[in-house]
Amino acid sequence: MISKEDIQKLAELSRIKLTDPEMESLQKDISNILDYVGQVSAVEGSAEKDVPLNHNVMREDVPYAEDSQLNASREDVIAAFPRKENDFNVVRKIIQKDE
Amino acid sequence: MSSELAKLSITQAAAKLQAGEITSVDLVRACVEEAKAKNPELNAYLEIFEDVEAQAKEADTRRAKGETGALLGIPLAIKDNILIKGKHASAASKMLEPYVAIYDSTAIAKLKKEGAVFVGRTNMDEFALGGSTENSAFGVTKNPHDASRVAGGTSGGSAAAVAADMALGALGSDTGGSVRNPASFCGVVGFKPTYGAVSRFGLIAAVSSFDQIGPITKTVADAELLFNVIKGKDPLDSTSTEFPRSDLSSGSSRSDLGNSSRSASRRIGVPRSLLVQGVEADVLEKFEASLEKLKAEGYEVVDIEIPSISLALATYYITNFAEVSSNLSRFDGVRYGLSLKGETLADDYAKSRAEGFGPETRRRILLGTYVLSAGYYDAYYGKAGLARKKLTDEFVKAFTDIELIATPTMPTPAFKVGEKEDPLSMYAADLFTVTANLTGNPAISLPMGNVSRPSTSLGTTGNSELPVGIQFTAAHGDEAALFRVGKTLLGEAN
Repeated sequence: MISKEDIQKLAELSRIKLTDPEMESLQKDISNILDYVGQVSAVEGSAEKDVPLNHNVMREDVPYAEDSQLNASREDVIAAFPRKENDFNVVRKIIQKDE
Repeated sequence: MSSELAKLSITQAAAKLQAGEITSVDLVRACVEEAKAKNPELNAYLEIFEDVEAQAKEADTRRAKGETGALLGIPLAIKDNILIKGKHASAASKMLEPYVAIYDSTAIAKLKKEGAVFVGRTNMDEFALGGSTENSAFGVTKNPHDASRVAGGTSGGSAAAVAADMALGALGSDTGGSVRNPASFCGVVGFKPTYGAVSRFGLIAAVSSFDQIGPITKTVADAELLFNVIKGKDPLDSTSTEFPRSDLSSGSSRSDLGNSSRSASRRIGVPRSLLVQGVEADVLEKFEASLEKLKAEGYEVVDIEIPSISLALATYYITNFAEVSSNLSRFDGVRYGLSLKGETLADDYAKSRAEGFGPETRRRILLGTYVLSAGYYDAYYGKAGLARKKLTDEFVKAFTDIELIATPTMPTPAFKVGEKEDPLSMYAADLFTVTANLTGNPAISLPMGNVSRPSTSLGTTGNSELPVGIQFTAAHGDEAALFRVGKTLLGEAN
């Protein structure tokens, strides 16, 4: 069974805050689910050697056409900002001063 | 008169529109009237668009100016994860409750060009994660055949809207059966195209290597009609591809197909080992009866073995968790959507994501983070990649000898709301549908009759007649084989 500390670690990596009761039910559910999907370990071979890598398909590096609907959406993008000042998205300061 | 109009198939309505017997406004009013009467109980639509009648008038004007087109003025329901510019698209999540789409998805842009009318956006499992629409942040969608039961998922709202005549057809999206499962539970046609046949641009991503937009309709001809409009290679989705073989109107025949030979024509393979447990007896009876009917129509039915199919569910879920955790990492409350403040930046993320995502979504993000972590990557994600490759190879090989693979779509009819509390029991119901997403093959669910189950709806006693579906899978790009067998089984003109 996966430990409570592991669940806590996964929550941190996933940037999701969990409550204590939720932590307990997740510990049980995640253990059961991992037990079930773990049956793939029986598959032989090496993923590195035997699974063909998908390749990127790139478009031409040119601006969107004049009439592309993607050009017209600047105002809409700004309108969706949770907090804004003029046309700027207001975000939290990332580098804090040492205290 | 009005409710009769809502019962029409797309093809029937198109003929009446073309003959000038009815207008698009008539059709839209009929569907909205049904929705006003039924939606409060069923919860198929999250929103009916205010401008729906204006859209219909616009379509009627286009027709008056000489446009024709089979979808001109046809009212459709659209799943809440497919973007329509200027409309809310929430993927049935609190995270995106305030979000308004800033562009059209390619599928919608193509439908607009044809003049289709969008009645509203339909309920779904949050971010298309589930199998019953019980994971919606905005309440479950009830089954039109028995409101104590689920409509299926994740496109439950779209299937219920079509089954209850609240739209003539709908778009859903299929990640592990999300179009076919609710089609089976609601008694309508649900079609998942070959991976890449329909652009995913503007479809809110769940599992990018599985997701396909697909039609949910009353008839096979309608599914084919919608597919032929929304399909096609799109520069905005680099995984989209042109499949000339799926274009029936070009008159392609089996003889020029690539990977299935002429001898495979009209031969159906049944993976019997998969059917021995879990399928309810009367569902299996309906399945066998459908095969008998197809035999009488000249199809040959043979047993087949696909060894890797036993690992399909485990393979599917590992891949699903992994891609979901990656895809949903974009929702951080910084640029759009739900944004909550904590003590620090990391707190802002953790709070927004805890409040914004429902329990199943959070569970899958954690599981995905686990299977992609350095220590467990090889044992889970790596092995799943291998198993997926093996299964795909086995499918390609199988289709050199057969034209179609048949199974029931779901092992049971619609279950009761709240019946499947354990996540694994919910996952197990996807056994037959996930394979087509793992391998990228096209698949269709067709109604194959009803089975009886005790009804527990308020004020009723006795039994509910619940629809069940049969699923056919075909070779990559061979949509035509699915439409052929579907029309034969449902008695539509082929």
